[in-house]
Amino acid sequence: MVTTAVPPTGSTSSRTGRNRPGGHPPGRRLRLRNTFIGWTFILPNFIGFAVLTLGPVLALFYLGFTSWNAFGQAEWVGVENFRGLLTDATFHRALLNTGYYAVLHIPLTLAASLGLALLLNTKLRGVAFFRTVAFFPYITSIVAIAVVWNMLFSPDAGVINQFLTFLGVDDPPGWTTSTDWSMPAVVIVGTWRYMGYYMLLFLAGLQAIPPELYEAARVDGANAIQRFWNVTVPGLRPTTFFITVMLTIESFKVFDLILVMTNGGPGISTLVLSQYIYRKGFEEHDFGYASSVAIVLFGICIVVTVVQFLINKRRER
Amino acid sequence: MKRSYLTATATAAAAALVLTACGGGDDQGEGGQDGASGAVTVSLAGWSLDTTPEFQVLADAFHEQNPDVTIDLVEYSADDYDTQMIADLSAGSAPDLYVMKNLKNFFTYEDGGQLVDVSDVAGQLGDEVSGVDAYTVDGATFAIPYRQDAWYLYYNKDLFDQAGVDYPDGSWTWDDYADAAEELTTGLDESNVYGTYQHEWQSTVQGFANAQSPGADLLSGQWDYMVPFYERAVDLQDEGTQLDYGSITTNSVSYQSQFGTQKTAMMVMGSWYVATLLAQVDSGEADEFAWGFAPAPQLDSSTVEEPITFADPTGIGINPAADDDVVAAAKEFLAFIGSEDAASALAEIGITPAVTNDTVAETYFGIDGMPTDGVSRFAFSTHDVRPENPVDANTAALQNILEDAHSAIMSGSVSPADGIDEAEQRAAAEVLG
Repeated sequence: MVTTAVPPTGSTSSRTGRNRPGGHPPGRRLRLRNTFIGWTFILPNFIGFAVLTLGPVLALFYLGFTSWNAFGQAEWVGVENFRGLLTDATFHRALLNTGYYAVLHIPLTLAASLGLALLLNTKLRGVAFFRTVAFFPYITSIVAIAVVWNMLFSPDAGVINQFLTFLGVDDPPGWTTSTDWSMPAVVIVGTWRYMGYYMLLFLAGLQAIPPELYEAARVDGANAIQRFWNVTVPGLRPTTFFITVMLTIESFKVFDLILVMTNGGPGISTLVLSQYIYRKGFEEHDFGYASSVAIVLFGICIVVTVVQFLINKRRER
Repeated sequence: MKRSYLTATATAAAAALVLTACGGGDDQGEGGQDGASGAVTVSLAGWSLDTTPEFQVLADAFHEQNPDVTIDLVEYSADDYDTQMIADLSAGSAPDLYVMKNLKNFFTYEDGGQLVDVSDVAGQLGDEVSGVDAYTVDGATFAIPYRQDAWYLYYNKDLFDQAGVDYPDGSWTWDDYADAAEELTTGLDESNVYGTYQHEWQSTVQGFANAQSPGADLLSGQWDYMVPFYERAVDLQDEGTQLDYGSITTNSVSYQSQFGTQKTAMMVMGSWYVATLLAQVDSGEADEFAWGFAPAPQLDSSTVEEPITFADPTGIGINPAADDDVVAAAKEFLAFIGSEDAASALAEIGITPAVTNDTVAETYFGIDGMPTDGVSRFAFSTHDVRPENPVDANTAALQNILEDAHSAIMSGSVSPADGIDEAEQRAAAEVLG
């Protein structure tokens, strides 16, 4: 679309323009106009991003060092908030819970979405239908998901526990009503929700692997398992890396799922960092302290992502 | 070239949209004089206006008495009311008058300098207005209550008859309540109805514990007095006398359907449910059955003359950003909402006003479908309502800790004593320390 706005003669004149340094090059005007047109295309989005995301994020780094209740001037308190975090047992618990969620959620979702992608990469009858079905949870309202899954998890009348009892489990878990099982319950729903999305990325990755490689492997006598480990896995490495990074960040900032499913409970057994930020900020109006927690969360995400990039770079060599 | 114009126009249109979206909020906050006639328009914040008629009722009744002043309603979301209001106040785009939905956030508004001192209005109010004290800080009053809810014990007379249990007579203690709940459960065993229902909110236990226990102080962080209240609640659900907490949370059970469709014979709930139940019987969402409400059960029989219950008042305050003439008109409005006229107008739609004298009670019990027995009337007009939330900087944080304790105890994850103990330790380390 951008190039069509440029008169067809433009490209030739810009090439000749570069050879005439002294005069008034028509190419410069053209380049300026192209730049301008380019800017107008990204400007609406960029303004929105700058005003609604970049600005608040930058403000966060200031607010984290202040005490502010949304009214009047924020009072500078230095590292007071961060010193508070060192001894805040609830914050430590939220940090631990977030790690617990990530450690369970990342490998599970990775395995589930890869499995689904391999399954649905075959020439199965109705494969498009099953791909759509797997993607459905991702575009379903999180509130509806929480209501339905909570009912499934209901300790006495829920479908899951009735099924477990049918299988002969004497003492089925209390799921979202038990401090031990509430986090696994949330992880199950999280995995179920996101696996369709990552499956789609894996599918794209799988289709980018040249079929000649499989053919060559087959000629060399590799069986299905050997082909998977020696062709599919290395071929998917860029996709896997991208998905791992996305999954990690998504796990660390998990919020809506927990909020609507357990609201951090029972007790604080599923309280995660982003929910703690929400509580401190929007419920207790301690925006300075909430910002300092957000900075810590930001720091964790950055460090983990950088480490992942470094590991990936080393493997590529 | 044509396309460049298109791009430019589109950019301009987008910019215009962004600008108007940002500027749109500004004119909400500015009431003021319309022309030279001296007419004033004052804006008032409310939530869910379609289903919450009380704001319009107050605005209309006031406008009838003061034709010069028009009250314009500005709608907010019911769930995020305080978050949105704080953002709007902070940005200077909030309405002239705004409602204190409960006392939990009143401190934030008052301490943040977001309320006009209305002590002069409070001074003119009659003694009958309850809840004014809750809005008084260091001798100055910052909001005027128009509504004062209270928690009652709702009961289903048909189910009581069926089980052969005597109706609550207004003298019940919590032990009487627990006994009746057991009797009802046994008596109604065949119809699969619970003796009582306790909703998932922390208020259903802690609200009463804070209001009724001698020497109870939420802000002290010493909450041992809550343990007996929790032990009773846990016993009731363990023996199957009330639906257990886990079933309520996992199945998103609504208290309206539990009592309204006769799945429970009793339920402790706030007075707001009276209007809801009447409306739901009308619409067919709730069954038609004989019901009534009695004073909430008491800790012991010493308080049955004037039963102690709890609930935060609902009040209205003035945004300090409003112009002088708007503030003057707003103060007239605040004086009106504390009057008997306003109370009667609210009572007509089933709201429990801040004034509950005989005239107002007459209007309230004149509503079609309202129970008219003596105990219900007594519960409406005679009670000592304690605020649920003390006005303090620590209230919100302490209530959050107690909410965690509530879900841990009621889900059976910890014993009442251990749960309260943990909460006390958290409060000491994180809030009071």
